[in-house]
Amino acid sequence: MTTVDQPVRAPAIAMTTRRIGIAGIIFGLAAFWIALPPLTVRSVVWPILVALAALAAGIWAVREGERRIGYGAIFSAIFGVALGYFATQTSLGHLNIVIVWSAILAAMLRYATPLTFAAIGGLFSERSGVVNIGLEGMMLMGAFFSVWGDVQFGSWEVGILAAMLAGGLLALVHAFFAIQLRIDQIVGGTAINFLALGITGYLFIQIYGEQGTPGSIAEIPDVRLHLDKIPPHALGHFLDGAIGQLNLMIWLSFLVVVLASIVMFRTPIGLRIRSVGEHPRAADTVGISVYAVRYGAVVLSGMLAALGGAYLTLGFVHSFNEGMTAGRGFIALAALIFGKWRPFGAFGAALLFGFSSAIADRLALAWGTSWQTLFQALPYLLTLIAVAGVIGRSIPPAAVGRPYKKQ
Amino acid sequence: MGPDAPVVLELAGITKRFPGIIANDHVDFDLRAHEVHALLGENGAGKSTLMNILYGLYRPDEGEIRINGKLAHFTSSKDAIEAGIGMVHQHFMLIPVMTVAENIVLAVEPTRAGVLFDVGAAADRVREIAEQFKFTIDPYARIQNLSVGQQQRVEILKALYRKADILILDEPTAVLTPQEARELFGILQRLKAEGMSIIFISHKLNEALEIADRITVLRRGVKIDTIPREGATEASLARMMVGRDVLLTVEKTPGVPGKPLLEVAGLEVFDDRGLEVVKGVSLTVHAGEIVGLAGIDGNGQEELIDALTGLRKAHAGSIRIAGEESSGDSAREMLETGVGHIPVDRQRRGLVLDFSLAENLALRDFRHAPNSRLGWLFPNRLVARARKLLKEFDVRGGVPQTRAGMLSGGNQQKVVLAREIDRDPKVLVAGQPTRGLDVGAIEFVHRRLLSERDEGRAILLVSLELDEILSLSDRILVIYEGRIVGEFPPTVSEEELGLAMTGGGRGSGEEAA
Amino acid sequence: MTEAPTPAPPPLPEAGTDAAPVNFVERYGLLQRSGGVATALITASLAFLIGGLVVLATGHNPLSAYREIFNGTGLNWLFPWVNGTDRTFAAMNLQQTLLKATPLMLTGLAVAFAFRCGMFNIGGQGQYTVGTIVGVWVGSSWAGIPGPAHIVLAIVLASLAGAFFAGVAGLLKATVGAHEVISTIMLNWVAFYVGSYAFGLGGPLQNSTNVSVPISNDIATNAHLYVFWGDPILQGLHIGFFIAIGALVAYWVVLNRTTLGYEVRAVGFNAEAARYGGINVARSYVTAMAISGLFAGLAGAIDILGWQFRVGQLDVQASNIGFTGIAVALLGRNTAVGVFFSALLFGGLINGTSGRHLSADVFPPQLAGNLTLIIQGLIILFIGADVLVLYLWQRAKRLRAGKTPGAVEVGT
Repeated sequence: MTTVDQPVRAPAIAMTTRRIGIAGIIFGLAAFWIALPPLTVRSVVWPILVALAALAAGIWAVREGERRIGYGAIFSAIFGVALGYFATQTSLGHLNIVIVWSAILAAMLRYATPLTFAAIGGLFSERSGVVNIGLEGMMLMGAFFSVWGDVQFGSWEVGILAAMLAGGLLALVHAFFAIQLRIDQIVGGTAINFLALGITGYLFIQIYGEQGTPGSIAEIPDVRLHLDKIPPHALGHFLDGAIGQLNLMIWLSFLVVVLASIVMFRTPIGLRIRSVGEHPRAADTVGISVYAVRYGAVVLSGMLAALGGAYLTLGFVHSFNEGMTAGRGFIALAALIFGKWRPFGAFGAALLFGFSSAIADRLALAWGTSWQTLFQALPYLLTLIAVAGVIGRSIPPAAVGRPYKKQ
Repeated sequence: MGPDAPVVLELAGITKRFPGIIANDHVDFDLRAHEVHALLGENGAGKSTLMNILYGLYRPDEGEIRINGKLAHFTSSKDAIEAGIGMVHQHFMLIPVMTVAENIVLAVEPTRAGVLFDVGAAADRVREIAEQFKFTIDPYARIQNLSVGQQQRVEILKALYRKADILILDEPTAVLTPQEARELFGILQRLKAEGMSIIFISHKLNEALEIADRITVLRRGVKIDTIPREGATEASLARMMVGRDVLLTVEKTPGVPGKPLLEVAGLEVFDDRGLEVVKGVSLTVHAGEIVGLAGIDGNGQEELIDALTGLRKAHAGSIRIAGEESSGDSAREMLETGVGHIPVDRQRRGLVLDFSLAENLALRDFRHAPNSRLGWLFPNRLVARARKLLKEFDVRGGVPQTRAGMLSGGNQQKVVLAREIDRDPKVLVAGQPTRGLDVGAIEFVHRRLLSERDEGRAILLVSLELDEILSLSDRILVIYEGRIVGEFPPTVSEEELGLAMTGGGRGSGEEAA
Repeated sequence: MTEAPTPAPPPLPEAGTDAAPVNFVERYGLLQRSGGVATALITASLAFLIGGLVVLATGHNPLSAYREIFNGTGLNWLFPWVNGTDRTFAAMNLQQTLLKATPLMLTGLAVAFAFRCGMFNIGGQGQYTVGTIVGVWVGSSWAGIPGPAHIVLAIVLASLAGAFFAGVAGLLKATVGAHEVISTIMLNWVAFYVGSYAFGLGGPLQNSTNVSVPISNDIATNAHLYVFWGDPILQGLHIGFFIAIGALVAYWVVLNRTTLGYEVRAVGFNAEAARYGGINVARSYVTAMAISGLFAGLAGAIDILGWQFRVGQLDVQASNIGFTGIAVALLGRNTAVGVFFSALLFGGLINGTSGRHLSADVFPPQLAGNLTLIIQGLIILFIGADVLVLYLWQRAKRLRAGKTPGAVEVGT
């Protein structure tokens, strides 16, 4: 046996090729961007020229061996020029309604936050080796019980605690069946989703009945930053519009991402979680309790997903409705996969999906809701493409989904 | 060291039962300071069970463990580690995507500022220990990029990092090349000199004789004896292991080779990682001939078998079956051309354990009459055929409707053999056909292979057991690092074969190229 | 040795062997062998018991609630002492129950067939939705062609659409190794939004008469399936029921009497051994997923042609038929007979708890609907855990035999 001999290319050249490929991708996007406000180039010539540059860079990168990035640049060029052409042909009025960057960014963050919480939750669970397709249900529990706690005690803080408790409890059920009884984790997650749908729906009808949740719930406050003072005026105005008034939970989600990254990759706890998810028997033989680590990770994932649900009700729509998470748990799962089981990757994917929701909203302003509906399928399609390995293969932790049996 | 050295570890009356079997039956075992104590026994003799009990992975039903005279109760491997026991498992307990340092310090991580994992300190510590025992290892290398021998060193370092003074090695040479095994023995000697006590589990007599100070033999869960190395011979140990004199000689008349049925030329095959592991193999097997392919595990045998049976695409070269060009054919085309295949792993590949015996016996033929017609399956005919074959091949413990998983290993192998031979193949590729079988089943398989040879089949026997190769083959080829490095008559000595298998001299054989 | 010789001693567990079944397929094989009906019944009873406790805890009477739900299923029609108007009502209720059970049998098969090939098809819902989309599209177009031809055309195209949709997941698994659970989940939501778009305001399949209603056109009257029991006006039982029964039979025949079924089962139990047997494993994945999708797409078509006759945006979004199919398949242990009975159970539950049959005085239907979801979740949870039941049962048996008390350490 010899060590693996990777085909080695001169690193410097490889780096340059990579950079040129990535520049190609950016140029492709730019072909679209220049046709949008504020630049709003109205002649189709410019997008075409920029896209040609992207195309050239892409082809060069492919020929130099950076196939994935190169093809990315070529696709980017094609999409860029197509959308750019579309934008130049659209009326200026419509463009100005749809493309208000600061509003889009703010909306993106609002849409992304529940996904971020749940995806980071999923990260802990799956990195420890337990598949969690019950994120949707745990989120729903958080959404309902946050309202319940809030209304009961008149405080959003209690609401958040109640949410985390409820999400954690449901996750504990999942953990017990997945870890202790070693049932198939996909089956277990499916059951969890049904259970959450039933429990929250039942209690919602039982407690609030026809009228729905009261209008007088204590909302999670926004953080008001007066960024419009920042010079130059245009920048200040833009920043203030984008992040000047964000809900507290949105800022909290940023913190959660950073913390998750540190815990997972810079602490002994993270090392142990990852070792349990990659090779539980190896972890066991050095004295790590596989069950304890997995229980902890799964319960934490339920609490984080529930935070996402709590934001949805107490910070976003201010009421609860049956099944209101509407698949966000699954988008979070998609974000996790799309982000290759990494905190910042998952966060980036959540932002991307949030962005597509925000754009969909804006499109609806100009062209009606019909396209908005179709646009919502985009995150799922992107994830499908990601698992198919077109945009860099997503490889899950080695032992994910496999119950561990102590000897 | 010597008989007066203190006993550091004592197992007394250890008994462990599993459903239907007693894995350890009142086994006594002791380990003295600074000794290498070999635990010898056949597969399934209960060696690993005993060591897993010692390492806290199983709990004994009866018996006691004493460490330095004090009674110990291990409920998990953590307890064993704290008692100073380290174990190098047969299947390494390493996480492929993590670095050497991360694997070594796992669960005992050095920290910075109380909470952060200190990667630098971990790497320094690993380097320090490695230097102390004269290893070379890069703490930042990922396990998946290391050779098997290097991975084993990481396992040893793991135990040393945890300050183990008792080291258990479970079949450590099974996965090593001879050079790596030699290096390992050197390391073990150094560890012993530094004060470690070592338990060396093996089923290889010569290794036990080479490295051990004392040898304990287990047979079917029972301890037979503990003897010092001095005075022990391979023959005496073998008798203790098997319970009778080992006579693996089969009555054999010389083969009468006919026309060539399997002709391989310049075959190149890649493994799953895309590395070329078969590097231009050429060989010929004639009708009525058994050609033995000898070699140490991992020298390209499995990939070669896969390529010959259509389970893996060859990168270059040609395979002719009875004169017909067949390279590039799928598994189905190969089996229909007349290639029979006894796979190395009968449970993972050779059988569908959840299928009935009747269904398993049809695994390679279900598409054809009389088993099926135009896609319509006839279960009654599968059963009738199974009834006939089970009788003919003396498969016991099952009727056609029995699930294959219910049979013992020997009977499972008979089912595989029955299926492959009943297809009347021109060429039969047999991969370690007696692996893990008891003596009776081994004899059955050997006789059957010889009689099939006499029927005029061309048989390629790929085996890691030299005895088997020597007693069955009409010609012997040696594979080393993906190349055929020698051809020998069956009268060749084991030493000469062994030398060729390790890439040493060319022996007396001419090189087949 | 104290042991009496046994005909087939199990292999001795050595280090590294995981004696317990770890992957789904092995576990499933274990379930198959663990004596079918009893555990399914125990599982369902336990779920109903816990559901009853929930009802009790929230201040309702579980016994009267369950009795009312049972009467709503119409299964009391089977009792000879029920007569007069009660019997007439029971008959109508039973028709509704069977009407609900019909698509469940098919979506149950959609999950079961993939299971037998070692795959978990969570995408029954999406495949069902695609079936309804194509079914309503074909059924509401080409009004000119004769009824039977129209029906066959709609059913065939809808089934093929379902097969294609599921086949995508199979193809991704076969070619690039994408896990079918992930891809079918994603495809579910793609179908969800495509359906919502198609029938939504301004969507391509929205009805042409009332543009403010997000609903499709009605299908042609001659494309309705024949109602053989009950009144066609009052949504009687249509012949789609027999199509579903036919599908159950076909399922059994294909699996057990064809080489295709042999291949599927071989791949499901041990893909590597199947490959060794000359079976094209990749093709089996695609085929098995496509057949799974075929069943689900068929379910969609039958619902459209049998009693729904049109689809609204809300129907697409609220439908749970495909997801319930998972519970149906699991409870039915992926056998044809099992799927039939568990589809009946869930069909009855859905029907019995619907507002149409359940009097709000006894138990509010909205609560009952959610109770159904809870029970469904519990059944799925427990059916997966019935390995535990088996485990405890074996342990008890072994203890009773008194031979090897330490033996519980290792599963069989």
